[in-house]
Amino acid sequence: MRFRKVAAFFVRDLLWDLSYPLSFFWRGSSILFNLVTFYFLGHLVAGSGSAAGYLSAYGGGNYFPFVLVGLALGAFQGVALTSISSAIQYGMYTGTLEAMLVTPTSLTTIVFSSVLYQFVSALLTILLYVVFGATLFGFSVAKTDFLSAAVMLALSLLAHLPMGIFSASFLLIFKRGDPITSLIGSFSALLGGVYFPVSVLPGWLQSVSFFLPFTHALEGLRQAVLNGRSLLELGTQVVILGLFAVILLPISLAVFTYAIHQAKRLGTLSQF
Amino acid sequence: MGSTPAVAISRLSKYFPLITLRRLLTGKWRQGVWALREVNFELYPGEVLFILGPNGSGKTTLIKLIATLLAPTSGRILVHGLDAARSPLPVKQRLGYITCNEASFYGRLSGWQNLAFFARLHNLDPETAIPPVVESLRLTEYLDRRFFTYSTGIKRRMDIARGLLHQPDILLLDEPTTNLDPLSAAEVRQLLAQMQTQGKTMIIVTHRLEEVQKLGGRLGVMKEGVFREIHPKPGESLEDLYHRAVRAGGHAVS
Repeated sequence: MRFRKVAAFFVRDLLWDLSYPLSFFWRGSSILFNLVTFYFLGHLVAGSGSAAGYLSAYGGGNYFPFVLVGLALGAFQGVALTSISSAIQYGMYTGTLEAMLVTPTSLTTIVFSSVLYQFVSALLTILLYVVFGATLFGFSVAKTDFLSAAVMLALSLLAHLPMGIFSASFLLIFKRGDPITSLIGSFSALLGGVYFPVSVLPGWLQSVSFFLPFTHALEGLRQAVLNGRSLLELGTQVVILGLFAVILLPISLAVFTYAIHQAKRLGTLSQF
Repeated sequence: MGSTPAVAISRLSKYFPLITLRRLLTGKWRQGVWALREVNFELYPGEVLFILGPNGSGKTTLIKLIATLLAPTSGRILVHGLDAARSPLPVKQRLGYITCNEASFYGRLSGWQNLAFFARLHNLDPETAIPPVVESLRLTEYLDRRFFTYSTGIKRRMDIARGLLHQPDILLLDEPTTNLDPLSAAEVRQLLAQMQTQGKTMIIVTHRLEEVQKLGGRLGVMKEGVFREIHPKPGESLEDLYHRAVRAGGHAVS
């Protein structure tokens, strides 16, 4: 029964996306433009001797594959951080959330089913990065350990989802001004190593970056994709991301349950 | 009249604490608004209750509490004897909440796709649940069009269709004819009359006294969260009675 409901959400979001056929084209175009920009930036970086030193740990010191993996995971992390709160925000704003809540469907089912399509869509975005990178810019997956890469993606999702749930909980009560998504998102982009290796940062900032799950997810994914590291070799990243997930997921779900209770008390579910 | 009321409200109150950062910092977070104060009434199967009152008097809060969208501060709501707070799922299956908010549909999806989505949330097969409802509301011809292309009148009928998909016996309607032109409003009133003859129990929030006059039913007035049922005497103007009730607030009107 629950599977049918989850499928209904997926179909709803797919139909919605299909109703904007040009959006697929523009999404692909923006990925392509992004890659072109970094491809030429990679040429610039290639001339710098110090850059090669920093990048040597990632598949031979080439900047383009390094940044491609960072951009792809960054897009995926963005969905994990924002999808739940944007689903709630849209539902509160339009009144669709109320219309769903008067059916025998729990808010938890509504919220988590509402983001399923976005995750599938984010996986397709990663695939587009890889396909464009490989066909147009010489990006290679010859060394990739696909199992390790898939596990890193899954762990990255589980480690980031709690932040998205915290953010949604905040939104349920205060409706706007969620500080979590923007803080984690900005810190991850700056300190997580999307555009440059974390080793470039001063020591104290490297210490801060250690506490971001994104740093470990990206390091693990790069090692899996660019150096073909196995899961055993990525034990440190697996354990750290696993700890983030195991500790934060139950806490975030408890906070979310509390936020739902408070939202019903405060009446914020049906206001915006 | 059956022994078990379709809806029984007893000593229902709702307080909205107003939480803001400033109030938290200044220790004034306990200040808030009483939206409902000790509301009591019973509604038996097949009865229609109109709720009138000025804006902000608590009418919509009352409807949302019955629809389980809000949690009461105190008091109880029983739907066919089931406590709405303790058994929300079976209660939701007996209730049809018609939001009268056209934005609560997915504009880019067709009418059928919208209704199919909500039917599945009710654990229904869209192929069997949708046709009888849309036929009775004369909506069949519109189903393949995208929702945003509908007129406001058709959107409102789609809203009613959504509320009827699971064949509830109690309907909650929040200002069903607001924003409609006279013709569309008359159509909606006709549909409400149709549902009344089908024996549906209805709670209708409205600002229009002519709806009460045309459909007939019990009449409650709300002011500042206080609910008072009023009983017009034969020949007495409903409008005068309503205005006296609003002026009197929570006090009895004779």
